[in-house]
Amino acid sequence: MIKLLKCEFMKTRRRYVLLSALAVTAVMLCWIYPDNYKEDFLRMAWMGSLYELPLVNSIFMPLLSVIVASRLCDIEHKGNMLRQLAVSEDRGRIYDAKLIYGLMIMTFCVLISWTMTIAFGYHADFGGAVPIKLYILYLLFTLTPTAAVYIFQHTASLCFRNQAVAFFSGVIGTFFGVCSMFLPQLSTLRSLFIWSCYGVLDFVGLFGWSKENRYKFAHFEVMGIDWKSFAILVLICIALYIAGREFFKRKEL
Amino acid sequence: MNDIVKTKGLTKSYRGVSVVNNVDMRVKEGRIYGFLGPNGAGKTTTLKMLLSLVRPTKGDIEIMGQPMSETTRINILRDIGSLIESPSYYGHLTGAENLRILAAVLDVPEINIEKVLQIVRLDKQHGKKVSAYSLGMKQRLGLAGAMLAFPKLLILDEPTNGLDPAGIQEMRELIKSFPTQYGMTVIVSSHLLSEIDRMAEDVGVIANGRMMYQGSLEGLHGIDKTKSLEEIFIDLTGREHSL
Repeated sequence: MIKLLKCEFMKTRRRYVLLSALAVTAVMLCWIYPDNYKEDFLRMAWMGSLYELPLVNSIFMPLLSVIVASRLCDIEHKGNMLRQLAVSEDRGRIYDAKLIYGLMIMTFCVLISWTMTIAFGYHADFGGAVPIKLYILYLLFTLTPTAAVYIFQHTASLCFRNQAVAFFSGVIGTFFGVCSMFLPQLSTLRSLFIWSCYGVLDFVGLFGWSKENRYKFAHFEVMGIDWKSFAILVLICIALYIAGREFFKRKEL
Repeated sequence: MNDIVKTKGLTKSYRGVSVVNNVDMRVKEGRIYGFLGPNGAGKTTTLKMLLSLVRPTKGDIEIMGQPMSETTRINILRDIGSLIESPSYYGHLTGAENLRILAAVLDVPEINIEKVLQIVRLDKQHGKKVSAYSLGMKQRLGLAGAMLAFPKLLILDEPTNGLDPAGIQEMRELIKSFPTQYGMTVIVSSHLLSEIDRMAEDVGVIANGRMMYQGSLEGLHGIDKTKSLEEIFIDLTGREHSL
């Protein structure tokens, strides 16, 4: 597998995949930059960020997945390389190597945004100590939906030569994922729809917010952590991986 | 002489329509086997089935004495070089970089890269991205990729497609040299009768998915001595084609 991962690295030379991913992450970081926060919000921004970030992630992470998966897989389609690879190596391993490489890039971007959020907190003085346990939980609840979305995008980008299929399915998924954040009454449906899981796993609630006073008398609180939805998401990840790998193995090239 | 490729009743159907129908292919070791047929006859599908790129609907494949199955597939394929339909390459990389990736996948020593680049005469193209190659150069790079592990069997699907006359001649001479110089068996498909006539020793003629003739090239000429090879081919395939 190391050999195949090395090949993936060699293939992406002069393709600037990581740079494109970091550019999207930079745009995301601009969005959450603390200068955008009002003073009332800043005093409780450690928790406030945990409340806001799932929405930002549900917009940016699926789009980042579309870009990374498409750029990694398109190089195989453009020069008909899948056929060549499929007669040289086991197809399942080709699928795995590409998936792991893409997930490494995604994880790197998530870690950058996570670290930068904490750095912003110290820089802008979010008040008090960073609730590190909650931030680690947030990291887990960001990486897992990202893995699910990425596995989906990876399969779509690898199996369909026309990248528009992967692009539009990703964009449509993102749209409904964001919309679902405003429909908490559809909880079961939301936890089955991978794009909405960023919101489903959001464990911080806002209380006391009003239109007139905004954050003046508001506070954030940890609500129940939805381990059931997390477990469902992990199962969906495994199912997507098995189905995607099998589909790629059976696909005629 | 042993048969390096043997198929029995090889069939591929799409929605009940057979594009390859009960093909029994026999390719002798160390020879050039010309796989001839009009466009859409089933040549590429047959070759893809030999390479496990397409699953046969029915039939058996035996290559180098081993039956093709899920467990033996990769070991068999590692002894086969192939160029199917069009050359495979990463356009944003140089020829040597492309081959370095393939060499890593195939566990082939890097020294083979220089060797095959010399054989296909691309060794002077250092630093040039493949996207800037001409079609002939891309085709030769594809051939270099197919030869990289110096396999026992080389499967080339229409390798002269799109090449100019000089490129066709160069490719032909290269292919003809493989059995004698490197001990390879070559299966080369084409819809161009003249190409196969100048290259192959044995021939398989396929039309509408069925093998219409299989044997030596001389045998094909000898079917009807009063007729030209072109006429024999048209008789066999039952269609008129500009060859």
